[in-house]
Amino acid sequence: MNAIPKWLWIALGLAVLIVAPIGQGNYFTLILCSWLMFTIAAMGLNLTLGYAGQISLAQASFMAVGAYITALLTLNGIHWIVAMPAAVVACFFIGLLVGFPALRVKGHFLAFVTLAFNTLVVLVLRNEDWLTGGSYGKFNMPRPDFWIFNTARKSDVLGIALSSNQKIYYLCLITFVVFAALMYGLIRSPWGRAFKGLRENPIRAESLGLDTRRITLLAFAIGSAGGGLAGSLMSPVVQFIEPNSFALVHSLRILLMVVVGGAGYFFGPMLGAAVVILLPEFLRFTQGYYLILYSVAVIILMVYSPSGLMGIGDRILSKLRPQRVVRGDMKEGAQL
Amino acid sequence: MSQTVLSVSHISKSFGGIHAVRDVSFEVQKGEVLGLIGPNGSGKSTLFNCVLGQLQPNAGAVTVKGQSVSGMRACDLNKLGVGRTFQQLSVFPEMTVLDNIILAGQEHHGTMLSRLFGAPDAGLTGEADRMIEFFRLGHLRDEMAGSLSYGQQKLLDAAMAFMAGPDLVLLDEPAGGVNLTMLANLKERLQTYNREHGTTFVVIEHNMEFVMSLCTRIIVLAEGAVIAEGTPEEIRSNSQVIDAYLGG
Repeated sequence: MNAIPKWLWIALGLAVLIVAPIGQGNYFTLILCSWLMFTIAAMGLNLTLGYAGQISLAQASFMAVGAYITALLTLNGIHWIVAMPAAVVACFFIGLLVGFPALRVKGHFLAFVTLAFNTLVVLVLRNEDWLTGGSYGKFNMPRPDFWIFNTARKSDVLGIALSSNQKIYYLCLITFVVFAALMYGLIRSPWGRAFKGLRENPIRAESLGLDTRRITLLAFAIGSAGGGLAGSLMSPVVQFIEPNSFALVHSLRILLMVVVGGAGYFFGPMLGAAVVILLPEFLRFTQGYYLILYSVAVIILMVYSPSGLMGIGDRILSKLRPQRVVRGDMKEGAQL
Repeated sequence: MSQTVLSVSHISKSFGGIHAVRDVSFEVQKGEVLGLIGPNGSGKSTLFNCVLGQLQPNAGAVTVKGQSVSGMRACDLNKLGVGRTFQQLSVFPEMTVLDNIILAGQEHHGTMLSRLFGAPDAGLTGEADRMIEFFRLGHLRDEMAGSLSYGQQKLLDAAMAFMAGPDLVLLDEPAGGVNLTMLANLKERLQTYNREHGTTFVVIEHNMEFVMSLCTRIIVLAEGAVIAEGTPEEIRSNSQVIDAYLGG
């Protein structure tokens, strides 16, 4: 397995993603867009939950903030390339504020705090219709025009005829690749080590000079910014947003993506989002049974591999490598 | 000329009606290895937590290098030059030994921004490797910390406490649960580090042989008060200590 370098796998995956929408219809292309958007949101949550160990049930609300800010700005003639960073920065600071309760409450109490925040955001979106359009939401958000690459119109690019949906897919893909590269750099940096330290042993981490308050807030802020980025893509892709698109159930879906893929694994959210978004589509041939089959598959996965699909991969790889005895009792003893 | 690293002055701490620590005072000089012993419930841990700024004493003051540590956060205390080990195992189990050691030192190098944009190892791999070799964990460098034996994790815990080059290290029962071979290794490494770097240690420990052979001075607590202070030889022959702690 190690004979093929990691970068080659990544290049291969990227090549598949580049050719994936070519020759495909709108439905398949938009499903792929949805996968990319939710992967970005799940990667953000993976930082907060998987790496830093802080539970959040509010990721859909950050997608909402990102989507609505982008919608409001682009509907008022501001280009997406300006609206998107504005949405991301806003989510970063709102995430920072949402992180403050995490300094006082942990575990399921923190989950309830973030759950309440998600509900609050949905209520504000529904009730402040002078700004958000209320239950009718916002629609007809323009797709961005990058001069030589206008995502709003069908045209030929490098001799290939691309529809508007296919072009917006490539915008999603570029955003995803840039975001994934930034996240990879972050996780490999000393900040990434600090996030893991916070997750594994916050008391010890603090005693080693790590400002756990600051790193907790940053974990929330950066993770929320990921949600905001996904939302800012949703606005031009779907071109219609309304409060229910960001209800609590969607935060739970993003959480499911992280957990199914493997929390704390870099590629976990990509796999998790693929299972949550793409698998139901592939199971549609089973007609009325697809939701039952999908639910059973998720339950079996969680029972037999709580570390998700990446955990299964890890187990298979560890079987192929020389054996290393892990002292489970020591692991437990290390928890303060 | 001696230099006071830690000064504990007239510390008292009560929990309701229980006087856990009563008017305890002592000073620790640079390079000294002070042992803090006493029977269970004698106030060692309470005093330790007062020194670490985690408990606010009812009276008295604790200063490290002349600076009050009362109410100070653990991360700020570490930046002041205070390292510590924990009674229970306290490593990062799902990180390699190398990453554990680098994490122990990285917050002392550069700024938040330089740590974000700089090298993934914060330029600490060489220094971390030397620390790993010093504590004889070189063969375990790339192993997950959670896969090490209890004694190896204790060694790693100690190595982490020293990575930032502290002036004062508080060792909370470093010998607890460690087998004799590993214990001799740990003691020898601590003595060598103390000799080479002049780092000051304060050790809480129940293992008498370990304390007597490691420490240059010992303070004995009983019912929250200091009942004896002196060299290991003086403590061994102190009748009050024998009555209160060693049990004759």
